[in-house]
Amino acid sequence: MPLITVPMFTIVFLAIVRQAGRGDLAQYALLAPVLIALWQLSLFCSGEILAEERWAGTLEPTLAAPASFPALVMARILAVTAVALVSVPEVLLAGRLLFGVSLHLRHPLALVLTMLATGFAVAGTALIMAAVFVLTRSARTFQNSLSYPLYVLGGVFVPVAFLPSWLRPLSSVVFLSWSGDLLRASLAAEPVHRLGLRLAVVCALGLAGLALGAGLLERVLSRLKRNGSVGVA
Amino acid sequence: MDAAIDVREITRVFTPRKREPVTALDAVSLSIPSGEVHGLLGPNGAGKTTLVKILSTVLLPTSGSAAVCGHDVVAEARAVRPLIGIVFGGERGLYWRLSGRQNLEYWGALYKLSRSEIAERTERLIQRVGLGERADERVETYSRGMKQRLHLARGLVGDAKVLFLDEPTTGMDPLAAREFRALIAELRGEGRTILLATHDMTEAEALCDRVTLIDRGTILATESPRSLGRVISRFQRIDVEGADDDVLDRVASLPGVASVAAADAGVRIEVAEEGVTADVLRLLVDSGVTSVRTSMPSLEEVYVHLIGDRGLQV
Amino acid sequence: MRRAGDVLRVLRYAVLSGYYDYQTIYTWRTWMVGWYVRVLSQVAFFALIGKLLHSPERTHYLLVGNAMLLAASGSLVAVASTQWERWAGTLPLLVAAPSSHVVVFAGRSLAFVADAVLTSLGAFFAAAAIFGLPLPWPRVLLLPGLVVSIAVATYALAIFLGGCALRAPGSRNVVSNLATTTMMAVAGVNVPVSFYPAPVHALSYALPLTFGLRGVRGLLGGASGGTVVADVAAQLAIALGWLALALLTFDRFGERGRRTGAIDFS
Repeated sequence: MPLITVPMFTIVFLAIVRQAGRGDLAQYALLAPVLIALWQLSLFCSGEILAEERWAGTLEPTLAAPASFPALVMARILAVTAVALVSVPEVLLAGRLLFGVSLHLRHPLALVLTMLATGFAVAGTALIMAAVFVLTRSARTFQNSLSYPLYVLGGVFVPVAFLPSWLRPLSSVVFLSWSGDLLRASLAAEPVHRLGLRLAVVCALGLAGLALGAGLLERVLSRLKRNGSVGVA
Repeated sequence: MDAAIDVREITRVFTPRKREPVTALDAVSLSIPSGEVHGLLGPNGAGKTTLVKILSTVLLPTSGSAAVCGHDVVAEARAVRPLIGIVFGGERGLYWRLSGRQNLEYWGALYKLSRSEIAERTERLIQRVGLGERADERVETYSRGMKQRLHLARGLVGDAKVLFLDEPTTGMDPLAAREFRALIAELRGEGRTILLATHDMTEAEALCDRVTLIDRGTILATESPRSLGRVISRFQRIDVEGADDDVLDRVASLPGVASVAAADAGVRIEVAEEGVTADVLRLLVDSGVTSVRTSMPSLEEVYVHLIGDRGLQV
Repeated sequence: MRRAGDVLRVLRYAVLSGYYDYQTIYTWRTWMVGWYVRVLSQVAFFALIGKLLHSPERTHYLLVGNAMLLAASGSLVAVASTQWERWAGTLPLLVAAPSSHVVVFAGRSLAFVADAVLTSLGAFFAAAAIFGLPLPWPRVLLLPGLVVSIAVATYALAIFLGGCALRAPGSRNVVSNLATTTMMAVAGVNVPVSFYPAPVHALSYALPLTFGLRGVRGLLGGASGGTVVADVAAQLAIALGWLALALLTFDRFGERGRRTGAIDFS
């Protein structure tokens, strides 16, 4: 689904900057849909995994299987995150065909490294979500509510520097804000400052998400097993 | 005109994408008089549900015609709809987030009852299907049996003249199924026509005035459960105890005896022709065997004989 | 007269059951924490782009457009209502019932349309306060009426699309998402309709948001009463058009389901 909306988002964002006569911001407009797709897909996937298993009644057998459940969830999240990369050519195509703009690869290595670190961080965060989704009655509602707040806090389009100062601490623990800044920096003419440190922050946030998510998932699942209500919420 | 359901040469072909067309019903004809409880008995995939769907106006036949209470189900679907009620098995078909009472009120409105009729009928149906205390709780908290009883009440809310029950006791535990059948049995006395599609032989035998055996889209036979047994009374069986092998050999060599085989406490002899039973009995009694019992095959045996072992793999 | 009474009664119960469905999705708390924060963020997300552009005018334009888009996108939930019936297993029962289906499907999702109106207005006023959008009193009191007109018009479109989705059950999510993003792009939400080439304008003005949103901008921007009234009239005409299309086609889609066997007993 996000893959269908990606070109539309690209059109909307590019239209806004062009109409305002700010062609220099086209790079921002091209990056935002990619980050949105990445976030949406992982959120979608982590929510759907458990909801679907629950519907199909396969959650219990899966839990009873010897494989580690978090590992299983993780594998699926990674697969979906990889699919999210399809959004990159989509965005580029929409930008080129409809607006005649393209990405300027000023710092390709930084870009690739940032994308990898981001993919890892997305997966870690998605694992937390997967655990939370087991507990909520309607994962879909939850998914819905985690889109735009994160786009704002994560500086997906507008850098977090434009947010009111009281929101900054909150946004600095959202890996998207680091990823977004890094991706924009890797497209800018100036050299990327402190690349290693900033990448490390993205990875650390991803790792924290992973640890928290795995721990949470184990706790949630063992609680559900104890209460005997894995199948129905 | 007095037939409540009149099916003439109904054929329904499904054409799945990129696959061979499937004939679910092949020139089926059937007439069910008003007030009859009629069983539609056959294994899964026999075409039962397809026929019920056509009769309840949610599916169009490929060819042929069918009428409910004299109204054509295709041309006069609007006239048919107020007259029919549908109940199918499983737990779906209800709004789980509404209470049982709200479900019934909702469908009462859809069946164009007046406000007072809705209130009165809802209450009556709730009592009737034994949901009294739980009627105002959400359906999702109900047991399977309760959901099914609510489903039955839902089918009755429009005061249907003709009721279609499609595998209504699927997945119920035996006790719940028995209670449910008792409810259906009660409906017989009210002059409603009931078409019960089922693969459960005991259910059909217990409830139905007549049974139609259907398999692979064609009707094999339509009879009362008992006379359906008579159709193949050549399979009448004689249970014998204390007969020695010599006697049994002689029985086995009689013309028209289908089989002689060890059964529970003795030997079961099955005959394959009308009138042969008398010959067998005469021979047994003449040989001094007196522990003899004859019996008619049950509907289940008829079913197995006609449809074959496949029928048990439902 | 009896017929009108029947329709109203069906509608009442359909609305009620939709409302109960709605209740299980949101409580007051989850609505505020989950949904309201989300929609406010959505409006803020776009308004912030105006800040990035260093243009108060663009900020306000984006704020108004995206707040009104919420009224439309929320109403598009009705596209899914046919699918809900499929899930509940009630679709064949509805088709076999003697009432018109369109009333049921319409009523079932009305709670979500009411929600769309509240959401849109709630996000608008909060965002207006946050981003310092001047609100012209007492004209702004007419805003709810315009928002309702957008929601109702989109709702009519949604019912039409829901009927289409009866044929292709898998498509409903795609359909409603595509409708939302199309409005986001060409209905004058983020950039004026005139930004796009002329052939696109026909599509823009057929959408159930465009005229209503233009009316809202006129109302807030101090346009003459006549201009606003003209936009509202155009908006209502579009709404009636979609509603007529929905009514004309809906039962026909049910008929098609009867032919293909797409309506399953469960």
